Amino acid sequence: MIPLELNILLASVMFTIGLYGLITQKNGVKLMMCIELLLNSANINLVAFSAYQPNVNGQVFALFSIALAAAEAGVGFAILIALYRLYGTIDLDSIHAMRW
Amino acid sequence: MIQNAISLMIAIPLIGAVISLFAGSKAKFVALIASFIPLVLSLQMYMEFDKSSKIMQFVESYNWVPSIGVKYTVGVDGIGFPLLLLSTIVSILVIIYSWGEGKKPNQYFALLLLNEVGVLGVFTALDFFLFYIFWEVVLIPMYFLIGAWGGPRKDYAAIKFFIYTHVASLVMLLAIFALYFTYSMPDGTRTFDMLTLLQATADKAIFPTGLLNIIFAGLLFGFLVKMPAFPFHTWLPDAHVEAPTAGSVVLAALLLKMGGYGIFRVIMPILPNVDKAWITVIAIIAVLSIVYGAFLALAQKDIKKLVAYSSVSHMGFVTLGAVAFTWMSIQGAMFQQFSHGIITCVLFMSAGTIQHVVGTRIIADLGGLADRMPKFAVIMMAGFMASLGLPGMSGFVAEFLVLTGSFATLPMYTMIVVFLSVATTAAYHLWAMQKVMFGPILKKYMNVHDPHSYELFSMGMIILLSLLFGIAPGLITDIMGTAAHQVMEPVVTLSQMGVI
Amino acid sequence: MYADYAYLIVALPVLAFVLCLFVGWHLPRGGGFITVLATLGGLIISLGILKETYPNQIVHQSMHWFADFNVGILIDPLALVMLLMVTFVVTLIHTYANGYMNGDPGAARYFAEAGLFTAAMLGLVYSDNLLQLFIFWELVGLCSYLLIGFWYRKPSAASAAKKAFLTTRVGDVLFLAGIILLYNNLAALNIPLKPGEYLLQFPVIYANIAQIPPAQLTLIALGILGGAIGKSGQFPLHVWLPDAMEGPTTVSAMIHAATMVTAGVYLVARMFPLFYAAPHGLTAVAAVGAFTALFAATMGLTAFDIKRVLAFSTVSQLGFMMAGLGVGAAVGAAAVGVSIFHLIGHSFFKALLFLCAGSVIHAVNTNDMREMGAVGKYMKWTMYTMLVGSLSLAGFPLFTGFFTKDEIIAKAYEYGVMINFLPYIFLVAAAVLTAIYTFRMWFCVFTGKERSNYGHHESPWVMVGPLVILAVFAFGFGMAAQHDFYSYLDTNFEHYSVNFDELGVIGGHAAEGHEAAGEGEGAGEPWYIKLLPYIISIGGILLAGLFYWDKIKRFDPSQVTGENDPLRRTLLKGYYQHEIFTAWFAETVVYGTSLICNMIDIKLVDGWLNWLSAWILGLAENVRKIQTGVIQNYVSAMLLGIVVLVVVITLAMEVGLV
Repeated sequence: MIPLELNILLASVMFTIGLYGLITQKNGVKLMMCIELLLNSANINLVAFSAYQPNVNGQVFALFSIALAAAEAGVGFAILIALYRLYGTIDLDSIHAMRW
Repeated sequence: MIQNAISLMIAIPLIGAVISLFAGSKAKFVALIASFIPLVLSLQMYMEFDKSSKIMQFVESYNWVPSIGVKYTVGVDGIGFPLLLLSTIVSILVIIYSWGEGKKPNQYFALLLLNEVGVLGVFTALDFFLFYIFWEVVLIPMYFLIGAWGGPRKDYAAIKFFIYTHVASLVMLLAIFALYFTYSMPDGTRTFDMLTLLQATADKAIFPTGLLNIIFAGLLFGFLVKMPAFPFHTWLPDAHVEAPTAGSVVLAALLLKMGGYGIFRVIMPILPNVDKAWITVIAIIAVLSIVYGAFLALAQKDIKKLVAYSSVSHMGFVTLGAVAFTWMSIQGAMFQQFSHGIITCVLFMSAGTIQHVVGTRIIADLGGLADRMPKFAVIMMAGFMASLGLPGMSGFVAEFLVLTGSFATLPMYTMIVVFLSVATTAAYHLWAMQKVMFGPILKKYMNVHDPHSYELFSMGMIILLSLLFGIAPGLITDIMGTAAHQVMEPVVTLSQMGVI
Repeated sequence: MYADYAYLIVALPVLAFVLCLFVGWHLPRGGGFITVLATLGGLIISLGILKETYPNQIVHQSMHWFADFNVGILIDPLALVMLLMVTFVVTLIHTYANGYMNGDPGAARYFAEAGLFTAAMLGLVYSDNLLQLFIFWELVGLCSYLLIGFWYRKPSAASAAKKAFLTTRVGDVLFLAGIILLYNNLAALNIPLKPGEYLLQFPVIYANIAQIPPAQLTLIALGILGGAIGKSGQFPLHVWLPDAMEGPTTVSAMIHAATMVTAGVYLVARMFPLFYAAPHGLTAVAAVGAFTALFAATMGLTAFDIKRVLAFSTVSQLGFMMAGLGVGAAVGAAAVGVSIFHLIGHSFFKALLFLCAGSVIHAVNTNDMREMGAVGKYMKWTMYTMLVGSLSLAGFPLFTGFFTKDEIIAKAYEYGVMINFLPYIFLVAAAVLTAIYTFRMWFCVFTGKERSNYGHHESPWVMVGPLVILAVFAFGFGMAAQHDFYSYLDTNFEHYSVNFDELGVIGGHAAEGHEAAGEGEGAGEPWYIKLLPYIISIGGILLAGLFYWDKIKRFDPSQVTGENDPLRRTLLKGYYQHEIFTAWFAETVVYGTSLICNMIDIKLVDGWLNWLSAWILGLAENVRKIQTGVIQNYVSAMLLGIVVLVVVITLAMEVGLV
């Protein structure tokens, strides 16, 4: 069995990459991908702990999370497409109609 | 004896409000009926009311949110009952006065009824939680009445009214919470029961003076803003000037009375337990309200603003009479609440009638209207005379009782009021009367005529009421005399009374 | 039996008020006959009560009203003579008004208001307590306001009405303060009240004056005197009375000459024991009265408006009455009889004079005496009745005014002998001036040449009839009633067992003073003092004739004083009262204060509120810049927050806080 530490390490790395991307990237699609990374790092953690502490709660929770992520991605991409149609770009810095 | 009279009185206008919202142009009939039934009920209650009893009557009490000690408890005693009567009388007269309202009448009458619900609730609630809910319920219809049917600066006035009085209510709510969380019942639970909490404030072990001072300040602030007293009165002229006539009438006749009612119901039982300095503070506020309000009224150019400031001045008598803490002055202050409630109606209705018949309220632009509006002139004259404290009308009885009673404990303040306000009050009333009604009729007003009969009817009724209570003040002072004793004695809770 | 219907004396005119107000518009002459009948009913009941109670009974009825107050009727000699006078004179004036107001579109309103006035005045007179008296006192003020402003379309009438109300209101403030003080002083005594007794009832007040601290008594007396000064047009609150002549002449006759303005005198007479007990109380009364008597008489000399002459004369005569009460410091309770006698006599001849003036004005259509002249040729009845009134006012021997006024002067002499001669000197000077201005007026109006075109006709019988009846009383009342009147009124305070000796000690009056006065009238007066009244009246009339009667005219008034004589200008300007009271005090001081208050309210009280809301808005404007809307910033902030949290918690665990 793969040690728990490795799982957590993998999740941490994924999370950090996602976070870095989230802070530095301007492209909407890239941001969506980074958010997926964050979510999935959390899922890995859930599943890993669930495997080491034998019950299925964590896995159930991960399933919920995946479903939610799918929904979120659906809504998110829909917004991005709408934005693209409106502004011709998905660079978030140039979309600021509601800023002060 | 009618079962659940008070709950019925609160429920019927509420149902009426909902129905009139969907009644379209028939809303006024719904409103008339829905305000007539509470009037009948309150008159019936007057017949059954035990004038010599100091305990709560017509009490109803049900558990509402038992987990936090909230109950639906309503009941009246000599403090609340006259105001209950006032509310039902004024509400129906306002609805009659507004018979010709053409702009969204269904919403208009629904809001007026909702107002009645809130006011009746405030005057009867015996549970702080319930009290606060009704207290806030009143704000909403008034906000919309000003905001939707108001004059040119209605947005400013509505928001100022709402925020100012709402801030005051929140401060009051904090104080109520302080009472709630400090006192626990013998069995360890907490209660919002008004009388129980007020009775507990006398216990120095539970409420040390320092804490009580803070609570007292919060409650006082909430009520003084509502009254309104100097220096928290500035929302009033703005709200009045922009509000529609019916809104002004309800605002002045009923909403201001909530502040005074709070003083008698909540402030007076705590007053003996807080620092004595408070008496001086409140007395100064009262005297300033009276005198300063009168001088302000003299300087106004808009007749409605003049009437608004006169309210500040007259409500000062309530504060003065209350804080003087003699049997006679408290009685006078309570009577002033009632009397001002009646008289101010006719003043605001007059201002409203001038506005819609002539088209302006600026005193300098008016003149000689008595020539074309003789009936209205008689009524307005009678109203102004009542307001300036002419003997034979209710205002005089109230002011005389307050001044005579207050002299015993606050001689200096009373004399300041006598010397600076009595003549000034007469001055601004007569000055306005002369400019508006007398002199040669101006050319541009040759075509004005007496207002609609329903307007004259409601104003005339008020004059008759003022005369009735001026000539036979005993009808109400008998109740208030008992209530004044009650105010000066320690609070007795409902369970001690054996009512529940 | 009549006493059981005493309440009707007020109730009937109230009924007349209601009837005239609501149905008078449809009746001939505005329903004036209703008011006449109502007042006549009052007169009959009053006469019946007189018959029942004379000479030594009183009527006292009372019932609880509200709180610690009652309503009640107290008819003692003082009240009864006032009731009789008021009902009698007012009945005549209402009758006259039926002719005078004929054709005025507001006649119904006139008679309604006149009815209300009658009720209020009568209620004032027979109140049994001070609060009720104050209530009716204010109501007569209201009626006075309404009736002065009867022709409300005239701006001057509306202003005069307002001025009258406000000026008397200033007095009422003092009166109210006096009542409040009195009530609280009495309440502080903890008097054991029998059932049916109330603190502000006159018998209770009389019985307990001696227990009130003297300093408080003086304050109370000054307060009540303030009310009397306002209502009775005494200096310095007399300014409203001449202006009050803007109302119909019948109003001037009824309210501003015969009845309402005497209420102040009546009040002081009613409270006489209190004034007597209050140190300096009567001194103040005497000073105010004597000064006003002379002061107003000088203004009467220069007025051109016939009604203003009579108004100043009224002020002056009221001063006489006040002074008559004031000299009570020397002569004791007898002063009440003397003063009230003049009050009653004055009401007859002054009502007569006003009604005659009204008759003249009705015919000539102007108030200005410079445009009249030779009116007597066409109005014989008016001329001769007015002559009777004028002779009476001037104090011509055998006429009513001679007996009433000169009794006051005689008492003032006693006061002078014992205390101070100033009131006496003032009153004598005022009496001389009275004779002069009265006959200046009479000569100007009725003799000489026609100075303008006017209608040549006598007034109708409804107007002349009352004139004749009043003339009979103006001539004969003084002679006929003199002795009975004094003995009747002197018993007034005996009904309440008022101990004037005890009160006199509190008030600091020499006890032997009124003993001496009681024994013989003018026992110690030298012959020239006794002769003086004859000289004053006849000399004054002759002097006026020399200036104004064309048959014996020797001097021209315009030669005595030049156009620019400062004294003349001051008198014509009425001592610059308008400038001082209206322009300076009312419009500058009071209105200025209110404008300053308004400024404070806008700039300061509301200002800080607006400043607060503006400040919060400004703050929000700055704070919301933090909300950039850039998602990366939010994520960075969250990250930073987590890092800080982790660091803090770790450190805390290290230190051992958690």
